[in-house]
Amino acid sequence: MFSKVLIANRGEIALRILRACRTIGIGAVVAYSEADRDSLAAQLADEAICIGPSDARRSYLSAPAVISAAVVTGCDAIHPGYGFLSEDEGFADVVRAHGLTFIGPSAEVLEHFASKEATRRLLEAHGLRTIPGSGMLRDEAHALEEAERISYPVLIKPSGGGGGKGMRLVRTARELEATFKVSRSEAKAAFGDDALYMEKYLGDNRHVEIQVAVDRFGHAIHLGERDCSVQRRHQKIIEETPSPALTEAERQDLCQRAVRAVVEAGYENLGTLEFLVDSRGEAYFIEINCRIQVEHPITEMCTGIDLIALQIKIAAGEPLGINQADVVSRGHAIEFRILAEDPSNDFRPQGGQVLGYLAPGGPGVRMDSHLYPGYEVPPYYDSLLGKLSVWAPDRAQAIARGDAALRELLVDGLTTNIELHRAILANQVFIDGKVTTDLLDRVGSAPFVAAGNR
Amino acid sequence: MPENRNGATSPAPRGAAKALSAEAVSGQGPDVRAERDHLAISRLADDLLPALIAKLTAGGLGEIEVREGSWKARLRRPAGSDEGRGVAAWSSLDSHSGHGHALGRGPAASHGRGTAEERARRAREEEEAEELARLPIVATSPAVGIYQPRKDLAVGIRVRAGDRIGTVDVLGVREDVIAPADGVIGSSLAEAGEAVEYGQELIRIELSENARGLDANGADREAAAVLGEA
Repeated sequence: MFSKVLIANRGEIALRILRACRTIGIGAVVAYSEADRDSLAAQLADEAICIGPSDARRSYLSAPAVISAAVVTGCDAIHPGYGFLSEDEGFADVVRAHGLTFIGPSAEVLEHFASKEATRRLLEAHGLRTIPGSGMLRDEAHALEEAERISYPVLIKPSGGGGGKGMRLVRTARELEATFKVSRSEAKAAFGDDALYMEKYLGDNRHVEIQVAVDRFGHAIHLGERDCSVQRRHQKIIEETPSPALTEAERQDLCQRAVRAVVEAGYENLGTLEFLVDSRGEAYFIEINCRIQVEHPITEMCTGIDLIALQIKIAAGEPLGINQADVVSRGHAIEFRILAEDPSNDFRPQGGQVLGYLAPGGPGVRMDSHLYPGYEVPPYYDSLLGKLSVWAPDRAQAIARGDAALRELLVDGLTTNIELHRAILANQVFIDGKVTTDLLDRVGSAPFVAAGNR
Repeated sequence: MPENRNGATSPAPRGAAKALSAEAVSGQGPDVRAERDHLAISRLADDLLPALIAKLTAGGLGEIEVREGSWKARLRRPAGSDEGRGVAAWSSLDSHSGHGHALGRGPAASHGRGTAEERARRAREEEEAEELARLPIVATSPAVGIYQPRKDLAVGIRVRAGDRIGTVDVLGVREDVIAPADGVIGSSLAEAGEAVEYGQELIRIELSENARGLDANGADREAAAVLGEA
């Protein structure tokens, strides 16, 4: 096991990793940018080190700064969290070259799964159904040809992208002609790679993902699924497990096929396979995330397994120590992403000072947040203020606990989406477990906001 | 007066900054603050940034930081880069902003609007400049790594703004520690071979009465250096 881990991230996930390190009895150093000097993780850590200015490119995204910090503080491993350098195979390679361990898949594994398009073909070969799609699009004519073959509507996707960024829905050939060049230059600007591919757009679909863990010895388990269908512009807002979209038989089948496919394809460490499930319950693999996910707490609440501790253990070369029969998922959990954005003002991100903060409590309530009264939310990074997760023996009780906890949660001084969450919980479509990924974008947030204000 | 804080430029009013941030904390809604911040950013970007870039290009400075209102702007010339390719960073001031931010306190752009208010502000700024000139300046670490001061560095040596006074080794690549202002080497705040973090205070640069007096009298800078070393 490692003696000391450098936490190369910020916000709630830096705090979450610090907690995992303390729980398993290893040291931790929090690396922070100048803008995060007052962050809760930096304050709570036994050791913290400033690695650069607020600009992430010179701090959290700077491989030399992060690795140098690990070296001078005597760490033997680096935990990248999510985002930033978490899926960067070049970074993982340089970390290893400095005699340190990257907590995540090896550079080779990351590289193997780096291209979404290639990963789809790879996992298709290992038994996962994929959405009808194209290869890399050579040019506009090729794109038009492929769109005809697949049939409209189609989604144009950047190969190097993630988190739904840069995706475009195209309904007609005329729309495709109008957006192809723009999509290409946007992809280039956002990801440094203008490669695009195309997929059939599934209308009423659900987002379901399978959490897997694979150790160095090829032992693998799945930890059930998460339903992330409540999205706004492809950004997840609410996640729950188990998914209301699947029957028990469908769930078991999908989980088993997913874990078998990734092991055969050579995956290692913690990972998440994302699927779109259509109205007939058919699951199509879309991508794999080679890192810890934002929404991991709901899986932890139902299985009782500390995923970050497990991830550290796998990276240290230890065997999983549990098999599939040991993973028992109980009850129902829901996570709410608390964001500093204004739902009534086109979700504009809000910076500013937290004047008051009170985390909710009670049975089955978990708050992962780096907020405290007086904390100044820096304007440079994402708008995630924290994650409220609730657990209950069944879905109806989980919704009730979620609403009670959201009513208790106080974030004074910032505009947040807390009321939007309450409105979604009260919505009949959500109560019926029938939310599709396009619901919020289709009906707009206005009815939800209005309902929330009643 | 050292050349990086002479009449062409003057520091942002610190008193005003205090008043503004106090106001922002008490009673104003986030909307008002957000709007103010947007205004501040666009004004800083339009007026201040070009002036700062010009300053960074013209002078031998490695880094310039300016505070105005509740915002600060920092420009840094990347180590070993060509002239003028600076990197700018904006940030909102926080309660601990004193730490590690002592670089280049001086220069801020003067905006060319000749209103009475503007003149009054300039007068305030000049007073601030006088006050700041009496404070010690501190050279800070450009990166996280292992610090080595320049071999010949000793207390009392005169340095010019932009002089390399040490290095920080980042995985075998040396980044320069730059004197942020003209002055005399004062006490060391970090040991040779010590692991340092980004922004850590390393060496005080003092603007001694002696040195300033000589400058004011137009005395030869070389003479001042000799005096300093003696």
